[in-house]
Amino acid sequence: MILSLEQVSIGTREKKIVDNVSLSIREGEWYALVGQSGSGKSLLSQAIGRMLSPNLQVEGKIIFNDHDLQSLSPKEIRAIRGQKLAYIFQDYQGSFTPFRTIGQHFHEYQKAHGNRDSKSRKAKTIEALESVGLDETLYKRYPFQLSGGQLQRVSIALALLLSPDLIIADEITTALDSVSGHRVLELLAKRQKETGCTILFITHDWRHVRRYATRLAVMKNGKIVESGGKHRILDHPQHEYTKQLIQAAPILQRGLPSGLEEVGSV
Amino acid sequence: MTGLSIRLPRAKKNRIQAGIALLGVVFFSAVFIYTFLYLRHDPVLTDLDRRLLGMSLQHPLGTDQLGRDVLTRLLLGGQQTLGYSLLALMVALFIGVPFGIISGYKRGLVDRVFMRIGDAFLSFPDTIVAIVLSGLMGPGIGNLVLAIVLVKWVSYARLVRSTVLSESQKDYVLIARINGLSSRKIMRKHLLPHVVGHVLVLASLDLGKIILLISAFSYIGLGAQPPMPEWGAMLNDSRPYFQSRPELMIYPGLAIVSVVLLTNMLGDYLRDRFDVKKEVQQ
Repeated sequence: MILSLEQVSIGTREKKIVDNVSLSIREGEWYALVGQSGSGKSLLSQAIGRMLSPNLQVEGKIIFNDHDLQSLSPKEIRAIRGQKLAYIFQDYQGSFTPFRTIGQHFHEYQKAHGNRDSKSRKAKTIEALESVGLDETLYKRYPFQLSGGQLQRVSIALALLLSPDLIIADEITTALDSVSGHRVLELLAKRQKETGCTILFITHDWRHVRRYATRLAVMKNGKIVESGGKHRILDHPQHEYTKQLIQAAPILQRGLPSGLEEVGSV
Repeated sequence: MTGLSIRLPRAKKNRIQAGIALLGVVFFSAVFIYTFLYLRHDPVLTDLDRRLLGMSLQHPLGTDQLGRDVLTRLLLGGQQTLGYSLLALMVALFIGVPFGIISGYKRGLVDRVFMRIGDAFLSFPDTIVAIVLSGLMGPGIGNLVLAIVLVKWVSYARLVRSTVLSESQKDYVLIARINGLSSRKIMRKHLLPHVVGHVLVLASLDLGKIILLISAFSYIGLGAQPPMPEWGAMLNDSRPYFQSRPELMIYPGLAIVSVVLLTNMLGDYLRDRFDVKKEVQQ
């Protein structure tokens, strides 16, 4: 197990937002966490890197690579962040500091994790950019000069830069059009094959789950209602909510799922 | 600057304003550098045989009631006034900006404590603090600068805090954090550059106010002490001779007005330059 959450609850003093969640992710798998907006997926993912604001309390155990993340000192957790655990977010525009070039971002993170040699940093940056199909002219560009798909690919390159063990991808295709989104996911899958990293994939889109995930968990109102292998859940959902979610998912090939009528035909 | 609004296209007006401000800054800098290089008269040496002389080649602006060269004192006074104003501003910036960044980035308890400290300072007007300080520690320009710093740093801390508060919510700060950067690095490299523009605008507008304050306090005798030349003090010194030699008051008065006006114009220009919203509207 690379990551296991044991009875994790997150909440303010008055209200629990994530309630008693347990899940475990094996090495090298693509684990999908599915749920509506507001179900607590993102909160849970940020709790893993200890990124929550201090007014939210986390209970339970988060074990990553045999370390209990809750008990680490700030310095130890900083060493894990970026190097062992990386994030990709939905908002690619906001993911980069606007007045720093793409290259500066790469340099800075390598420097923070102990690479003191500027030449090797640059070589590694260009290699990382090329690995996601971007050429090195982007090195000197500013974030606003890149398109959304390019930026999200840079995010992937940045996340994979220090070859982390776990990547948390939080709704990374939501803000992209479907073609760019598809390309970004294909790339992520390809890079996963090459590096063997584990991916925690947070989404509400069943098409991506069907295509990429190995296992998944469904979240509703801060609780996990169902978890297991992809085929088991997609073909034989047990919980009422999972059934509803799968029914509501858009499917292009066939007509509308039975029971639903086209709007306007009534 | 509303009093001077002439009907001109905004951009053109801006350019004219910037031009005047720039010229003024260059002019004053040149004058002060010149003073440093070339001083013909001792600014504090009294010579009662030559008191209250009119314009001459030797004394281009005449001499004052103690026979000191007025031009020399005016130029050196400018150095004092501007120098101490800039000093007060810089110290206020050096305290206020880090306070604001830490407060806005750390939030929670740190923020609350810092801001309450700031509120405590803000509850005294600068004039009161300056008067109390000179009452406690004796009048002097050092105490005046201290009083200005004590009051002014809070406004910078608040300005910076509000910007940082909204910026640090954005994903790029989260990303920087999740990639293992230390808080200090994030504050310095990812947040500080955001506030520089705002701070610059406020600082240039404040400079005028600080110059006025220092001159005003020197005028009532709580700032620069004689025989140190300072514009406000010079105004006060020449008050008894207003009937016979009014120009002795007019020179330092004009100097104060023109410098304050210039800093205001510079501030206005900077504000327009850094105001993104206006750019979008145009």
